[in-house]
Amino acid sequence: MTNTLTLDLVMEKMEEFGTIEQVRSNRIRIITTSDRIHTAIKTSQELLACDRLITISAADNSRTLELIYHLTGPHHMIISLAIELPRDVPETPTMSDILPPAGIYERQIHDLFGIFFKGNPNMKKIILNEDWPDNEYPLRKDWKPDPGTFYGGIKVERI
Amino acid sequence: MTEVIIPIGPHHPALKEPVNFKVIADGEKIVRLELDISYNHRGIEKAAEQRDFIRVLPLLERVCGICSHSHSTAFAKGIEEIMQVEIPPRAQYIRTIIAELERMHSHLLWLGVAAHEIGFNTLFMWTWRDREAVQDTLEEMSGNRVHYGMNEVGGVRRDLTPSQVNAALARLPNLEERIKKYADMVNNQETMLIRFRGVGKLSKQEALKYGAVGPTARASGVDYDIRSDDPYIAYAEAPWKVVTDTHGDVYGRTCVRIGELGESLKIVRYCLEHLPEGPIRVTTPKAAPKGEIFSRYEAPRGELAHFIRTNGTDKVERLDIRTPTLANWTSVAICLVNQNLADIPVIVAAIDPCLSCTSRITVVNDYDRTEGVITLDELRIRNRARNRRQERC
Amino acid sequence: MDIFLTLVYVFLFPGFLFLLAYALILEFLDRKIEARMQHRVGPPFLQPFADLIKMLGKEVIDPDGVDDKIFDTAPLVALAAVMTAYLYVPLIGNSPLAFQGDLVLVLYLLTLPTIVLFLMGWMSRNIFSAVGGIRVVTQMFIYEVPFFLALLTPALMAGTWSISEIAAWQQKHLWFMFLQPIGFVVALIGLQAKLERTPFDIPEAETEIIAGPWTELTGRRLAIMHLAIDISLVAGSALVAALFLGGPMTPWVIVPAWLSWIVGFFLFLAKTLAVLLILSSIKVATGRIRIDQLNDIGWKYIASAVLVQVAIVLVMNYFRVSA
Repeated sequence: MTNTLTLDLVMEKMEEFGTIEQVRSNRIRIITTSDRIHTAIKTSQELLACDRLITISAADNSRTLELIYHLTGPHHMIISLAIELPRDVPETPTMSDILPPAGIYERQIHDLFGIFFKGNPNMKKIILNEDWPDNEYPLRKDWKPDPGTFYGGIKVERI
Repeated sequence: MTEVIIPIGPHHPALKEPVNFKVIADGEKIVRLELDISYNHRGIEKAAEQRDFIRVLPLLERVCGICSHSHSTAFAKGIEEIMQVEIPPRAQYIRTIIAELERMHSHLLWLGVAAHEIGFNTLFMWTWRDREAVQDTLEEMSGNRVHYGMNEVGGVRRDLTPSQVNAALARLPNLEERIKKYADMVNNQETMLIRFRGVGKLSKQEALKYGAVGPTARASGVDYDIRSDDPYIAYAEAPWKVVTDTHGDVYGRTCVRIGELGESLKIVRYCLEHLPEGPIRVTTPKAAPKGEIFSRYEAPRGELAHFIRTNGTDKVERLDIRTPTLANWTSVAICLVNQNLADIPVIVAAIDPCLSCTSRITVVNDYDRTEGVITLDELRIRNRARNRRQERC
Repeated sequence: MDIFLTLVYVFLFPGFLFLLAYALILEFLDRKIEARMQHRVGPPFLQPFADLIKMLGKEVIDPDGVDDKIFDTAPLVALAAVMTAYLYVPLIGNSPLAFQGDLVLVLYLLTLPTIVLFLMGWMSRNIFSAVGGIRVVTQMFIYEVPFFLALLTPALMAGTWSISEIAAWQQKHLWFMFLQPIGFVVALIGLQAKLERTPFDIPEAETEIIAGPWTELTGRRLAIMHLAIDISLVAGSALVAALFLGGPMTPWVIVPAWLSWIVGFFLFLAKTLAVLLILSSIKVATGRIRIDQLNDIGWKYIASAVLVQVAIVLVMNYFRVSA
């Protein structure tokens, strides 16, 4: 089952989703949009034999927030599907129905970047403490800790 | 019997990690699980964005004590690939030696901890005694028992003298014999067998579906090992093979880890005997060109993924770490339901959790009660109120 | 004179004072053997004594809502029970307090520490202690039946209910270890389970339920309960030594009474140490099993083995009587 995926094979199956390029001998990058990402992942699971999600990376380009889904399979080729979301309304549908481990990663990204995943049944705080104030997303580039805000935990009274 | 909530953690003698399992148990069987695995967030990813490549490596080493070399190597090799520098072969071999010694000490530690979880303290004492041989070697080579500080972008920082190499080689035969004895013990010791066999079973489909990595996945027959799928440093040259097992339970994971101990010993011996001459580092440019790399590394616990993005300066723009324990937590939650209370420590220990790596995660089921962080005073008030309620019933 | 000697026997030697010293010595030997087998150094000789003194002086913490009077007296009840049980076992000759049926009394008294542990686990208002208490009682139900039966088969064969007379019976015949080997093995396993040592330390499983019923014990309560378990190790080993290894009796009668007491005393020491060695080896070489697995093993193998033993003894008795 370890047939190697070539760039041409990927291009012919995933052409409709966006631009495809081979960034490294074993990584192929596909840029697509958030409305087509669900079908793109489904297609790569069915047609390209990608049965495992490695991780979901998130990054902050200054005008947009970027999400990259890394999938791999027995062919040992990494398919990276990248989407960009506008900064003011970063929303995208969830992938946890077709990729169960995505649930954890999506919650983590939501806590740190503020990207909302529609349809994720468990969108609660996961990586920050439970009384972290809302709307503070630490990993965004424009976030700095504000000395006046209380970021949760136990208040220590200094006498 | 009504369901009882038994808190296991965050301070619990079973788990040497700050994790909180709220186990909802019916007698001795687990009905539901509420995991609260979040006590160690230190904001390392954000801190890494403000440090240049020399300063960020010690920070990354301290993500975790046992897989410290994994994090720094994954990052260093990612940056080297963006900069398109090739490190000299001697540096690659030294990195491999330290990486495999780290894997050995981590697996021996795990074996002791797993034995301790089932109350078999004899094996715990023996494996940790043998681990001292590995730690002595590491201390001679790098000066430290953990957090070795061997890596830098462009090579390694310290060289190995011939006397260190000979001392390390002299320790290996004894270790090899002890590893064979432990393999024998796991297969024949009755109490270990009945506590490990059939516990925490994960089938191959489930392992793939829930994204398990590392020895947890390999014990279910999933053949993923980054050292062979995507070879880096010296793994392509040393003779070794991937260890898999088909049992899928804690016994299978034990067998995989003991097998990997034997393989690591072979790699260390090969690299020590065939250490090439030459320089140990190359000078690299101060700033990395704009680029993006997805660097993967096989840490002792599984696949470690660093997603690095650089922007032409001497700092990273984005560092995203996905640790193996994080990938394994979903499979733990799946295989814990309907097991015995007595097996929780064994199953959790079987994925070899390292919560320093994990950052903070909470997986809460649909049935939940809203809870926040509770102060000590609130705890006392709540406890008294609950006791009064119980007295009235 | 008689009463004075009996009082010396009960309180000084080989009674309570000697018992306390011997219990601490046996605990030291147990920990030292375990440590050496695990390639460690182990504690120094006076360590158990130091632990006892230290714990007696520590702060006693009363959990909220727990009845501290019962919590205070329950360990004392356990201690009193095992100390009394020890007196009926022949140590240097026949026990001066022996009577027909003291075997039953000793077995009953040795069960009391387990009941006390369950009581304290249940009363502690703590989920870990409650689970531990349940496990204590479950384990007791599993091992108690085989243990009792294994200790009653020597009584069946010797035809008497007094431990001293059973030990004396072995003087003229073979030791019961050779006559009833299955019973001997089951008695050792039952003793290990009664003392809650690995592989049967399920109620106290440190890695699962903190310390089970011991969780809320602090200070002198913990010291006294720990001492009670130590003393039950002595009493249990002495009981097994008396019933299966011939006790302090030599195969021939030694004429000056004081000489036979001295020889008997050293035999008693040697035999209890032998039993301790076996128990410690079992403790070191195994891991802990689960309560449902213990249920399996206990009823399937141990109970059936001892029933076979009882049947054999009854058959042998019939042939001996009819011969």
